Formats: sequence, structure tokens, C-alpha cells
Amino acid sequence: MVSLTINGKVVRAEEGEYLLAVIRRMGIDVPALCQHEAVEPYGGCRLCMVEITKDSWDGWKKYVTSCLYPVEQDLIVTTHSDKVNDLRRGILDLFLARNPETPLIQKLAADYGLTRTSYEAIPEPNDCILCSICTRVCDAMGFSAISMVNRGHGKEVAPPLHQAPPDCVGCLACAQACPTNYITYEDVGNRRTIWNKQFELLVCDKTGRPTITKEFADYLIKNREIPEDYFRIDDASHREELADKMGRITRWSVTEEAK
Amino acid sequence: MKHDLAKIPEIIGRYPQQESSLIMVLQDIQKEFNYLPCEALEQTAEALHVPLSKVFSVSTFYNAFSLTKKGDVVVRVCIGTACHIRGARQIQEQLETALKIQAGETTRDEKFTLEVVGCVGACAMAPVVLTNEQYHAQCKVHTVKKLVSKR
Ligand code: FES
Ligand code: FES
Repeated sequence: MVSLTINGKVVRAEEGEYLLAVIRRMGIDVPALCQHEAVEPYGGCRLCMVEITKDSWDGWKKYVTSCLYPVEQDLIVTTHSDKVNDLRRGILDLFLARNPETPLIQKLAADYGLTRTSYEAIPEPNDCILCSICTRVCDAMGFSAISMVNRGHGKEVAPPLHQAPPDCVGCLACAQACPTNYITYEDVGNRRTIWNKQFELLVCDKTGRPTITKEFADYLIKNREIPEDYFRIDDASHREELADKMGRITRWSVTEEAK
Repeated sequence: MKHDLAKIPEIIGRYPQQESSLIMVLQDIQKEFNYLPCEALEQTAEALHVPLSKVFSVSTFYNAFSLTKKGDVVVRVCIGTACHIRGARQIQEQLETALKIQAGETTRDEKFTLEVVGCVGACAMAPVVLTNEQYHAQCKVHTVKKLVSKR
């Protein structure tokens, strides 16, 4: 255990924990757009930035991404100093230029007193904030069907060669984890389309409702020791059990609200 | 240039079949074909046990890789600050007229690709044009066409 001070309060934390987790546990609201509990911290959005110092640092301060900064004994953390808020505002200004029409960004920017970007907004904006949660979740699922491609202002999430991704099983983890609903999919009857790839959905024996794709079921049966007949029934206890097996990365039933 | 896709396995085989060989393999393929053919990406992913999405990610990240066919000679006009001041724009225009293509394009006979690039690190020689790996110093508007004369 280490003890540190956050916004004037002394708190104890587990060695190896990241600052953001401790900050959140205290109920303090620090924006963190590229953070997702199913995957490792990424340090991409920079919004979780906080100010740190120590009595022994002679007045020196550092600004670090709290999602990636491990707790330290005697650390003194400030989550909303003027300087920190300024830094966040600067980042949100850039976000607003990239995603001027994205509600999540608009809301966050407004919280920091920004209604429009001081830069020129990009001409054809979309809702992708480049947090890479989708690609990291896809990696964690074991598929790595999509990735970040290009760089600089051309950077985007895409399937390989911009074609229907061969490794995608239609699990929807990317779409469900996406904080801005940029990644879309369509379920019509027992057909699913995501990333321009078509899937057939299995159907529950009891309710006749579509469940998950055949490809995803096959993968789970093969790799996560799930019995073959498992996906024939779609009910809550089944879902719980499966969620446990999969480390709760995704929910498998389309009958359940995604977010 | 002939594109003999059958060469791909040999190129991949030059390095240990593991993830860390990825960039070296892609470099060699780029060198051989002047671009990265789809087939090469797929075979590389398979052989090195790297997801295709990661191979695509790497091949689109670095400027040294290209996913579209390039000409036998890639002509790069430096438009970095020093070259810009010393007339890179006019050099570029001359080459565009001579090759009848715009920067970023390849001639129909696949002999030349014209590109503009940022500072190539030879500012004292500005304006600079590269043909493949060769640097041409102090290029002049009235002579630069020679670099792309088809002999
Ligand atoms: S949450 Fe995005 S950088 Fe920390
Ligand atoms: S600007 Fe052209 S070499 Fe530096």
C-alpha cells in the first residue's frame, strides 16, 4: 500500500494502481476518453492529465496522464488546477476541430467553457475520436480484425485493405465499446452487417430470437471451452456465465441494449 | 518492371518467421516490387503470425511503404523550406509538364512516379530532386527535365 494526497485528501492505494483509478474511486470526475476497463491504458486522448508534485520536489510540478501514471508514495495530485483545466481546454479545442458535431465532445468542451473551436473545423467531420478503444478491444477479444491505419490527419480505423475484414467474426465488441457510436452495424432478421461484412445469426431455440453470429459461436466453442449447444438458448443465466468466461468484454445477446 | 509474385515466399523466408521481422520483410518487398502488393501483405501476415490488420497498419504508417504501384524511377522533388525558397515549386512544375502527370501520379508506361517530399536533409544542396536513391543538387528549371528523359 502507498499513501498519497489527491486534491488535499490523503488516500491509500494499491501498489501498481494507476492514478486515474484512485481518482475515480474518490468520485472525482476527470475526463478520460481513451480509457476502457477491458483494455490496457493507452494515453491517447491526454484529457486525463493531472498535476503532480511532491514535497521533496522543491516546487516542481509535472503534468501526466493519470490513466498511465502509477501511484507513488507521497505524491501530491491536483486534478483541476487552473493550469490543468487550461491544458484540457486546449485539447478539447483540438477535439472540437476534429469532431465538431460529436455530442460527447460538445458536452465535454462545454463543461470546460468551450462552445466552438478556435481552429478551423475539418470540412467533413465524423464521430471518430481516434481513441483506439475499438481496435484494442478487438485485439483483446483475440481477433485483431481492425486497426488504426495511416497517420497524421489521415489516421483512421479501418479493416485491412479497406475491405471486409477476414478476421472479423461479427461479435460487435468494437461497436459496443465505441464511446461515440461511430462504429455502426445492422441487424436485420437473422443477418448482421458490420464493417461491410455479412453474417448469419444463430437463433434461440426457445424464443426464436437471433443471438450471435455463427462465426463468433464457433470461435467461443473452440477457444473458450464453451459447450456446443450453449448458444441454442438465449437467457440471462447463460449470458452471465458467458460474460464471466469472456472477462466481460462484450455481451453476446442482441436482445440486450448495447449501451 | 516485372512483378514476379512467386518471389514473395523467398523474401519472407530471409528472416526469422516472427513478428519482429515484419518491417524488414516489408522493406525487402517494397524494394523488390516498388510497392507492397496485396498478396505480399497477406502472405507476410500468415508467415510471421501477425494479424493482417497489423500488417496493414504498419504498411500505411510509414512513408517508405506504398500500397500502389510505382514507376521504375521514383522522382522526389523536395519542397522543404530551403528548397521551397530556392524554387522547388518551379522545378516541380517543370517535371509535371515533362512527365505529363501531377505530383503523386505515375506515368502510363510505369517508368516514372513523381512525388513531393518534405526536407530530405540536404538543404545546402537546395533545390534537391531525388531519382530513386540518387540526390541531384542545385537543380535548375531549364535542365531538370534531363533527369526524366527516357533515353
Ligand atoms: S484516458 Fe486518454 S490519455 Fe488517459
Ligand atoms: S529543404 Fe530540401 S533538403 Fe532541406
